[in-house]
Amino acid sequence: MTSPTTLRVFNTKTCCIIILALLAAGCVEIPKDAFVVTPEQLKQRQIETRRYDGIKEEDLLVACSNTLQDLGYNLDNSETKLGLITASKQRDATNSAQIVAAVVLAMFGTASAIDRDQTIRVSLVVRPVNDSNGKPMTSNFFVRVTFQRIVRRSDNSIYTQTLNDEQLFQDFYDRISKSVFIEAQRL
Amino acid sequence: MKYAFQALMACVFILGGCASTNEHVLDMGDETQLQKRSYQSRVFETSDKERVLRAVISTLQDLGFVIDRADLVLGSVSGTKLEGNQIKITVSVRPKGNDRMTVRANAQFNVKPIEDPKQYQNFFTSLEQSLFLSANAGE
Repeated sequence: MTSPTTLRVFNTKTCCIIILALLAAGCVEIPKDAFVVTPEQLKQRQIETRRYDGIKEEDLLVACSNTLQDLGYNLDNSETKLGLITASKQRDATNSAQIVAAVVLAMFGTASAIDRDQTIRVSLVVRPVNDSNGKPMTSNFFVRVTFQRIVRRSDNSIYTQTLNDEQLFQDFYDRISKSVFIEAQRL
Repeated sequence: MKYAFQALMACVFILGGCASTNEHVLDMGDETQLQKRSYQSRVFETSDKERVLRAVISTLQDLGFVIDRADLVLGSVSGTKLEGNQIKITVSVRPKGNDRMTVRANAQFNVKPIEDPKQYQNFFTSLEQSLFLSANAGE
């Protein structure tokens, strides 16, 4: 049995919790090290970067741009003088494992959201390799690529992700290398 | 009834923290424009704008940003970092006299401006490492 007094205490408590939750929702704090380069990020740099020698910057950028088109990306922005290409594409994001899980949960009467579609964003940057005197070289370049995706779920909620799977970058650069070869041979 | 009044007061208190549209459009905070500019800027001893811009792009990539756009003539670079939450940054590089460059950064976290000078300090430290140059405060 709940006495009227305990009921009132419970109400005040609930009230306080709701107010605190409301207040807290407004103050998600920025991570302290948001602008500090961590050792993990330096490792990620290795994974995201490849070096190409004996090619002009312009030819390398064209080869990269062609590859992005091969992969179905639309060009959003570019600044060739700084070696930058930014592109994106919208794709389906459903995957069978999530659907199976959702169906199992639905059998127990619980509805769960699944990934529906996604925007994949990529920025690709070409920069010259510096020689031993710190001067940029004219035919040796690094290519670095970064991927993000913004996923919309079946309940219209959104989550975001930066991609860091090593295999993804391996496969991506295999294609860039082929394209660079084709560009070099002018095929 | 007593609790309804308390709840109402709490709502008034919460809403009291919301700024008007004009305040948001002009970002009128407690800081003056000059204060903001001073912790968001550093001066580098180089006249090579392209080199600084390329270093800014490298630094942002190191930090996990996707570069949204860049412009050599304007001297600006913008990027977005998405890891559960969103950080957007714009960095501009402008000549200061004949032999120096002013780098200025401003960033936002989700829907709020980043106003902690420490965050900008960290950014410029990361940029220094990639430029191999040390940064000087404003004047």
